[in-house]
Amino acid sequence: MTALVTIDNVHKSYQRDEFEIRVLNGLTLEVPAGDFLALMGPSGSGKSTLLNLIAGIDRPTSGRVVVGGKEISTLGESKLASWRARHVGFIFQMYNLIPVLTAYENVELPLLLTRLTRKERRSHVEAALGIVGLGDRMQHYPRQLSGGQEQRVAIARAIVTDPTIIVADEPTGDLDAASAHEILDLLQNLNREFTKTIMMVTHDPRAAERARHVLHLDKGVLIEQVEGLVPGGTSEA
Amino acid sequence: MKFSRLILKNLFRNKLRAGLTVALMASIFFFVATLLSILDNFEQAANAGEGKNRLGVQSAISLADMLPYAHEEKIRRIEGITETSKLQWVGAYYKEQKNFFANFAVDADKMERVWDDYRVPDDQRAAFKQDRQGTIVGPGLAERFGWKIGDRIVLTGTIFPFNPELNVRGIYEHAVDSASLFFQMAYFEQALGDPGQVGMFWVKVADADRMASVSEEIDALFRNSEYPTETFTEKEFQQQFISMIGNIKLLFTTVSLCAIFMIVLLGAITMSMSARERVTEIAVLRAIGYSRGAILGLMLTEFVLLALLGGAAGAFGANVFYRFIDMTKLTQGFLVNFGVSGPTILLCVAAALGVGLLSGGLPATRSANLSVVDGLRKVV
Repeated sequence: MTALVTIDNVHKSYQRDEFEIRVLNGLTLEVPAGDFLALMGPSGSGKSTLLNLIAGIDRPTSGRVVVGGKEISTLGESKLASWRARHVGFIFQMYNLIPVLTAYENVELPLLLTRLTRKERRSHVEAALGIVGLGDRMQHYPRQLSGGQEQRVAIARAIVTDPTIIVADEPTGDLDAASAHEILDLLQNLNREFTKTIMMVTHDPRAAERARHVLHLDKGVLIEQVEGLVPGGTSEA
Repeated sequence: MKFSRLILKNLFRNKLRAGLTVALMASIFFFVATLLSILDNFEQAANAGEGKNRLGVQSAISLADMLPYAHEEKIRRIEGITETSKLQWVGAYYKEQKNFFANFAVDADKMERVWDDYRVPDDQRAAFKQDRQGTIVGPGLAERFGWKIGDRIVLTGTIFPFNPELNVRGIYEHAVDSASLFFQMAYFEQALGDPGQVGMFWVKVADADRMASVSEEIDALFRNSEYPTETFTEKEFQQQFISMIGNIKLLFTTVSLCAIFMIVLLGAITMSMSARERVTEIAVLRAIGYSRGAILGLMLTEFVLLALLGGAAGAFGANVFYRFIDMTKLTQGFLVNFGVSGPTILLCVAAALGVGLLSGGLPATRSANLSVVDGLRKVV
């Protein structure tokens, strides 16, 4: 299977005052297109940092990050923003919807950056909200929705541009069990029926079970290479 | 246009804060528009005689000192002068001291040639000339005191020991001045027992290009006399009059700038608060592909709109307010034909634009430069 995401000997460290905090240590990984990958590990293991690098909202200290054949680790700020708009769909733990906008307007946000007409945008938004089962809640504001519904709006916002990859950071972390179940069903459906590539950070083993593959990180290195992923493994501790 | 809904909804997301900010800006721009309009009003008054080729001749010692009548004949002999007239500031009031306005004694038969910009119907002017106690009044005064032609009015003198008893014979029209009163010099002389001296002469010059040289000639003529003169153009004379109450222009401009600087600071605080509350939302927008430029544009547009709304509300509000307020009455004749003009409104709106850019610039730039990861970490 062709690799959609290639992480090649990536190091990431942060400077906090006089301390250098090393988060990722020479990580190498390939993720095929159409995969649903769960990243697990204790807090501070580097899983969110890895997700941020793949999503193009952070840059590696060294190494290469290639997504869909494009090396995003060398792109400038403006080009990276355009690349994210076209290729990445984000799902956050706290949904992060704009409270003053309706569900429809929240989902429309990424499309405002495109050249689509108002009519075309409407058709995309309606389709996305239909997929997540909220076609009848388009004019509702986030405060008028439950947590699960808010997260479904966030998922609609993530898929409305038909992105290359969907990144989800603890998408069920703030939901009750029933809502979490619905969201995971939805993600699984997006992966299976719409062949969307999904990378999800989670602490919840039940959420990880829904993924095709699970990776464990600890102290910035992969500690378990799960079958199905192209080997690369860790280069150093 | 496609971002307009996002901008407008963010603009009024905290209605109380947005409302108070707009109200604050509107109040200050109302105040600034008022100050600028007062300056405008003075400027208009100073320019009222522009192009009328008039020179005012007063005592070089002070405006309170009088000049002998004999000066007039000598002035008239200077080449280029077509007419002269005596003018005396009387300083009387009507009924109560608060009813103070400009009132003058003038040469009735020369008035139409020297002050030809004061238009009076022929029959009214003839009636004024025939009646030694006749008076011509401005329409603003007539309206203020309910005077009409044929009314007899009595003024109370303050400078001179007599109370002019006058008959309203005419109401003049003038582009700027609507609140002056003129009566006959002959009546003034009779009442004071022929004083032989007057406060000013006004001179009509044939050629505008000769105003400066005629002015110099007049002053040169009396330089070594017992009564030296100082000759002004009408604008200089008005400005001198205004400057008696201090450097109004500097004072008002300084106060206006201070007020605007204050709203820049207050606006910056409000807008910083608004931006700080939306750190995560901005990080989300950045994450889903909004560039730094787009964030800067959205935030700045929002802040500028808020300031423009306040500026326009204040300036237009002042314009409407002063249409319904009789400032002549309120200021006892100090401000005549007062209003907030189109250019003043435009100036206020332009200043509001500047306020929006200055006060919103820093918070918008900080928002645009926000690290996406740091922004998301605030909540996630």
